[in-house]
Amino acid sequence: MIENVFWKKAIMSGIAVSLMLSLTACGTTSQPTATPSAPKVSDYPNKPIAVLQGFKAGGGSDQLAQVTQPYLQKILGKTLVNQYIPGATGAIAWTQLAKQTEPDGYTISITNTPMLMTNYLMNAEIKYSIDELTPIANVVTDPGILVVSKDSPFKTYQDFEAYVKANPGKLTIGNSGTGGDDFFSILQWEKATGLSVKMIPFEGDGPSWQAAAGNKVQASSTNLGVVYSQVKGGNLRALALYSEKRNELLPDVPTLKELGFNMVAGSSRGYSAPKGIPDDVKKKLTDAFVEMAKDPAFIKGLQDSALPIDIKIGDDYGKYLKEQEAVFKGIWDSVKDSIKK
Amino acid sequence: MDSIMLGLLNVLSPFNLLVIAAGTGIGIFVGAMPGLSATMAIALLLPVTFGMDPAAGISMLASLYMGAMYGGSISAILLRTPGTPAAAATVLDGYPMAQQGRAGKALGVSLTASLIGGVISSIALLTVAPVLGKAALSFGPVELFAIAVLGITIIGSLSSGSPIKGILSGVVGLLIAMIGMDPISGTPRFTFGTMYLFNGISFIVALIGLFSIPQALRLVEKDDGVQKALSSFKDKMLPTFKELKSMIVTILRSSVIGVFTGLIPGTGGDTACWFGYNEAKRFSKEKEKFGTGHPEGVAAAEAANNAVVGGALIPTITLGIPGSSATAILLGGLMVHGIMPGPTLMTDHALITYTLIWAVLLSNVFMFAEGLLLTRAAVTVTKVPNKVLAPIIVILCVIGSFTISNSIVDVFVMFSFGILGYFMDKLSIPTPPMVVGMILGMMLDISMNQSLLISDGSWMIFITTPLPAILLFIALISVLQATPIFRIIKQRLKKIAR
Repeated sequence: MIENVFWKKAIMSGIAVSLMLSLTACGTTSQPTATPSAPKVSDYPNKPIAVLQGFKAGGGSDQLAQVTQPYLQKILGKTLVNQYIPGATGAIAWTQLAKQTEPDGYTISITNTPMLMTNYLMNAEIKYSIDELTPIANVVTDPGILVVSKDSPFKTYQDFEAYVKANPGKLTIGNSGTGGDDFFSILQWEKATGLSVKMIPFEGDGPSWQAAAGNKVQASSTNLGVVYSQVKGGNLRALALYSEKRNELLPDVPTLKELGFNMVAGSSRGYSAPKGIPDDVKKKLTDAFVEMAKDPAFIKGLQDSALPIDIKIGDDYGKYLKEQEAVFKGIWDSVKDSIKK
Repeated sequence: MDSIMLGLLNVLSPFNLLVIAAGTGIGIFVGAMPGLSATMAIALLLPVTFGMDPAAGISMLASLYMGAMYGGSISAILLRTPGTPAAAATVLDGYPMAQQGRAGKALGVSLTASLIGGVISSIALLTVAPVLGKAALSFGPVELFAIAVLGITIIGSLSSGSPIKGILSGVVGLLIAMIGMDPISGTPRFTFGTMYLFNGISFIVALIGLFSIPQALRLVEKDDGVQKALSSFKDKMLPTFKELKSMIVTILRSSVIGVFTGLIPGTGGDTACWFGYNEAKRFSKEKEKFGTGHPEGVAAAEAANNAVVGGALIPTITLGIPGSSATAILLGGLMVHGIMPGPTLMTDHALITYTLIWAVLLSNVFMFAEGLLLTRAAVTVTKVPNKVLAPIIVILCVIGSFTISNSIVDVFVMFSFGILGYFMDKLSIPTPPMVVGMILGMMLDISMNQSLLISDGSWMIFITTPLPAILLFIALISVLQATPIFRIIKQRLKKIAR
């Protein structure tokens, strides 16, 4: 009796498996018939493109996706489908992109610096690296910004610096979390100025600037796009911007470069594909970003969201990622022993 | 003033009313499904609203939030599986009531308490939001630490029966909260070399497993005896005036607790329901009735979690600071619509903001009406044979835990906690303390470390700042209440008086 049931099950599953196999076989056999007619010029994209996001819906990556993707869809002629795979500051999504994704251009991902690199620089458990990716294009770089509460005694960057000089290691400064962009920005700043502050990590940019606004910490190092509306609304005062030149959103805020420190920092968001995608697919994708960057409506959309545009295409983006990786590795190697004690 | 009226007019447009009614209905439905939480439903529906007018889209999501807060109690009462984490405390008295054949009454009390809590918080949102919003900024690491400590004392009152077992469960919960990347040094703790544990164990995933899987197993184990009491749905649903009068103080207290818990960034309905329940028990003259099917217990938890909605929206709209995880997604939704969250929401985008506020208020009305209809229908769930119901619960748990971050690892975590919960149940170790420990453990860990960094390692920081000092003092009294100290002092005082 028992054996009967067993065989029945075995036969049923056998049928099911063979059905599945034949179905997939149909799938694969039908494809080659399409390609021979156009051997070199691919019809990419002929199906929707999945966009992996290493963060939750409604976060910074999603904001970029929603502003960018309508234009990309128009240019590429196919829909882009967002897949949210939050966890381990994006590492789960990026590991999937680097290790488990078919390099056919139908799966790409939003890649955020510095997390894209610091994830594996800081944790041996994270195995991917940027060498396993094909950088497509950077879209936005949100420069770092130093803010204090509206009723802080620091009216200017000079006040702030004078205080830190007089009280080394005393001033409390919030960042978005150990290993985040703001964490590295403060370390870079300490290196550039030779000064030292007391870093307080928070869980994200929000709690960090909120602690500064509520005078729980004396300052916060965060990003322009994050606090722009708070600076404009008068809850925070911006002391310095870590960008190449002043930003038209806050024209009165000096850059660290003007103040005499050669330092540029921030977090950037762009798109990458797995390593080894066909050249023509890569060209289609990079061309789409070049075309999109020319669209005034797209540029206005970014401006309205206080997302500072910073287009770097293909190999330029790859070079930028490499340079950043070296910078972060240098900083992390010099401080990791004191932090991971 | 103008924008308040314009917002009211805008919300009363047929399309917006439809959207709010639909949002509330979806909310009740999703809330009632074990394993599917309000936050998740908002995240799933968010992309749908991208195509809508921002005011309508955000109103829909906010009314969904409100509806889900009530919906969670339906399955908590009928199935002993909280539909949302915010309904976890409702199980304690709701399910015993249902077992006694008072399922209808329990649902009615829940609906009424949800309505009152929701309306009070909406009125707070409409009237005193700008004043209360500023208060959100006064909660820094030191204050959050004190709140977490106060919350931990709840474990004591949830451990009635065997305090040792309760504390054991709570401590295990606290330890589980330590899993994941250390918030200060970034070092992974207890992750066994897998990055899937870097973010720690989501307490929502654990809670789905702990509450729902053991119940599914119980349903299969038991014959259909329990159901007979449940399916006789003859009692009147809505509480009588007399019953309401006896609970109104509890409901109002819970509503205020809910508004404030919502206001504090990082705490939401999942915390508020425990605070509301705990305080109701503390002030009650019939403490021993809690946990045995006391309507006040249901009312306390449900008023608190609905009051969170308005409370959490206060800092969201006045400052752009999300008061809970659900409002964080709402803010994300606004950003996607190109609206910068921040102080300008009340001025530059006043129409959208006031439409949202009125929508929240109106969603209470829809929630009450739809709740009355849906609840009648929902009770038929108890007529479904156990061997059908149990697998359905398991399937919903799998869907729910997977959807949180589209991760199969979460499903395995959920099942592990389900098995753990089953054996805890067999050993009569209570699971609620573990959930409280997990919810507050992370907050306790990070806020304590931040505070000590700020103070250069001096613990005095917790006593020298006024608000934390008061909160910690209350926590101390709560702990002492559980010991015989107060009784001894009372006796001594009596002797002296004589």
